[in-house]
Amino acid sequence: MSQKTLIGASALAGAVAMAISGASFLASTDGASAATEKCYGVAMAGKNDCAAGPGTTCAGTSKVDFQGNAWKNVEAGTCVGMDVGEGRMGSLEPLDRDIPA
Amino acid sequence: MPQGKVEPPSPQAGFGAALLNPDLPLPDGVIGPGGKAATKRFAVYRNNVTVSLINALADIFPAVQRLVGEGFFRDMARIYLAEEPPQSALMFEYGAGFAAFLERFKPVDKLPYLPDVARMERAWLDAYHASDAEPLRPESLGAISPENLGETIFTPHPATCIVQSRFAVVSIFSASREQRPLGNIRPLEPEDGLITRPSDAVQVRTLPSGASLFFEGLIAGATLSQAASITLEQHSGFDLPSAISAMLEAGLFSSCTPGQTVSEPVK
Repeated sequence: MSQKTLIGASALAGAVAMAISGASFLASTDGASAATEKCYGVAMAGKNDCAAGPGTTCAGTSKVDFQGNAWKNVEAGTCVGMDVGEGRMGSLEPLDRDIPA
Repeated sequence: MPQGKVEPPSPQAGFGAALLNPDLPLPDGVIGPGGKAATKRFAVYRNNVTVSLINALADIFPAVQRLVGEGFFRDMARIYLAEEPPQSALMFEYGAGFAAFLERFKPVDKLPYLPDVARMERAWLDAYHASDAEPLRPESLGAISPENLGETIFTPHPATCIVQSRFAVVSIFSASREQRPLGNIRPLEPEDGLITRPSDAVQVRTLPSGASLFFEGLIAGATLSQAASITLEQHSGFDLPSAISAMLEAGLFSSCTPGQTVSEPVK
């Protein structure tokens, strides 16, 4: 390899060690994916989230309140405890209830 | 990366061309219930298609729309879609050429940063729809022994995109999207934007000096040592530990491959 190397192996190892010990991101790497969860059956009509995003017509298309096959991002760990009334709870999987005709 | 590219057979192509060009005649076979040419019905359909495509562009490029105003944006979008109709059946992939269109569209040449803002918005949506992948875990990098670290290479996360700009593109993009005032932004201060999606949410960052060169090097397949050396050569103040920290935090890469201890001649 003819590439001039300005940084030695020990300096590189030091930089990586310093980067990893930086506490700023440790919480976010593990926490990022767990911070929210998709919760079915809890969104008000027209207020559902959608993985398809802008440019599509999925977000905000649920027709009835608490539609079972529409989901909303909620704080992780809170979904299944959500009671939307009449014994209906949030779910991490799509539900059969409250599907518009 | 269009996935839904369609190759319509020629009757469909004729139909499609007539949809976007009102000067073309009614396509063959478009008739009303009585068997007469359905000119007015086709005009309604034509209008719906155009309005839908303009709406899609407005949804994909909200910051550009805010910068030029809604009325101007919609007129400009109409010109764009006649020049460059969708190539993909997936609407969210539309507008890949919009930034290039803005570069050559004379009426916006007073806003030289506009194409880069459009690049940020397109990259944002590409990141949103990119395949899910776990970001590289800090422990994986930390576990590599110092003698193998220099030759380590990285696999980019599917969502990762860097937008290099001569303008304050990240500040303008963020302020426009969040409906914040734009008055205190100095547009001529160069900013490089980093777009990633470590989990479900797209993240946008401004890269410090040198970092985009370092990351672009790694994305292109350079080893850690090569990328760091090239960057330090051109940016003496480059902060390598911060850059590595940022790349782990942002989820730029999904995995890394340590170098081999046995030294083999490279190339």
